[in-house]
Amino acid sequence: MLLALIVGVAILVAALMAVLSQLGGTTGSSASSEDVGKLYSGIPENGTTLGKSGALVTIYLYEDFQCPYCGEFSRQMFPQVVEDYVRGGKAKLISEPLTFLGPDSVVASKAALAAAEQNRYWPYYSLLFENQGEENSGYVTTSFLEGLAKQTPGLDVSKWNAMRKGNSLESELYEAQAKAQSAGVDSTPTLIFSGPSGQQTIDELRDYEQITQAMDRVDGS
Amino acid sequence: MAPSSKLTQKGYIARRVLLSSLAVVGLLISAYLSWVHYAGVAPVCVGGSGGCQSVQTSSYATIFGVPVAVIGLVGYSGLLFSAWLRGEGGIYLGFLVALVGALFSVYLTYLEVFVIHAICEWCVASAALMVAALICTSFGAWRLAKAP
Repeated sequence: MLLALIVGVAILVAALMAVLSQLGGTTGSSASSEDVGKLYSGIPENGTTLGKSGALVTIYLYEDFQCPYCGEFSRQMFPQVVEDYVRGGKAKLISEPLTFLGPDSVVASKAALAAAEQNRYWPYYSLLFENQGEENSGYVTTSFLEGLAKQTPGLDVSKWNAMRKGNSLESELYEAQAKAQSAGVDSTPTLIFSGPSGQQTIDELRDYEQITQAMDRVDGS
Repeated sequence: MAPSSKLTQKGYIARRVLLSSLAVVGLLISAYLSWVHYAGVAPVCVGGSGGCQSVQTSSYATIFGVPVAVIGLVGYSGLLFSAWLRGEGGIYLGFLVALVGALFSVYLTYLEVFVIHAICEWCVASAALMVAALICTSFGAWRLAKAP
């Protein structure tokens, strides 16, 4: 009797932990189509730029969609950056997708850039990082990318697919690569803050405080 | 009440020693993964750290801000405490903690394989330890339950 009770309690506790894990896993991140919609609601999107064009500070994000630390940044700190600095118009974000980890990074970046053609880059960006698998494990399949496209609010999936399969996006990838080289970016994620008081680079992001400090140094206030 | 016959007593002590050893190894793994989490460094993983990094940086690596590795620390501490605790209380507590740990480890392994699509050897080792602890504690709990 006591043993059955212990088994019952154990199953209940383990199930509760699993449920909390699912809830905790989505807290503060852009897990679903609805969450992604909320995060970017009311914020101007133009290609790979997020935020008001007249923002004093520009934050360049150099990331590889397969890079696990970029995924961690995107899930844990990025939504706060959007809320603290982009939504109010203090800063705008420009994504520079890099593809140094392997061919799947190219495929993922092209999928995101294809969404950028419809100004839906950022929701797709969030969904890519939210559903990130192990680098070069082969998780970036056509069905994976199409699944995310279907979850991206306002994206015309057939137009996106046509754009993704063409060759026109490769020049944008080369451009991002060239910018990274000239800026001396050799790791991801690298954040470059550019504002009235100068430029700050974060290439070893550990906590949100670094972002706050970089913003304070460049925003000219 | 500790088991009385000499043979059972030997087995009882052996199981407590084994459970303590499993708990200590589990504590070391959890402590390492907790340190990795808070230090923000890549875990050392066999065959490159890609799989471990993916799992450690996934959205499932924390539950409401608490790293899963820290939950592991609590679980293995509970196992160690149960191995130290004499009598029925220790046997039943060990079984409860090991069962919760093993079930949660099965869930975490499912996430690794089917959701995160990455395997972390440290997590697999921890899951194996929990299953071993469950087998170890099941004997004592089953004997107690069957005793008149």
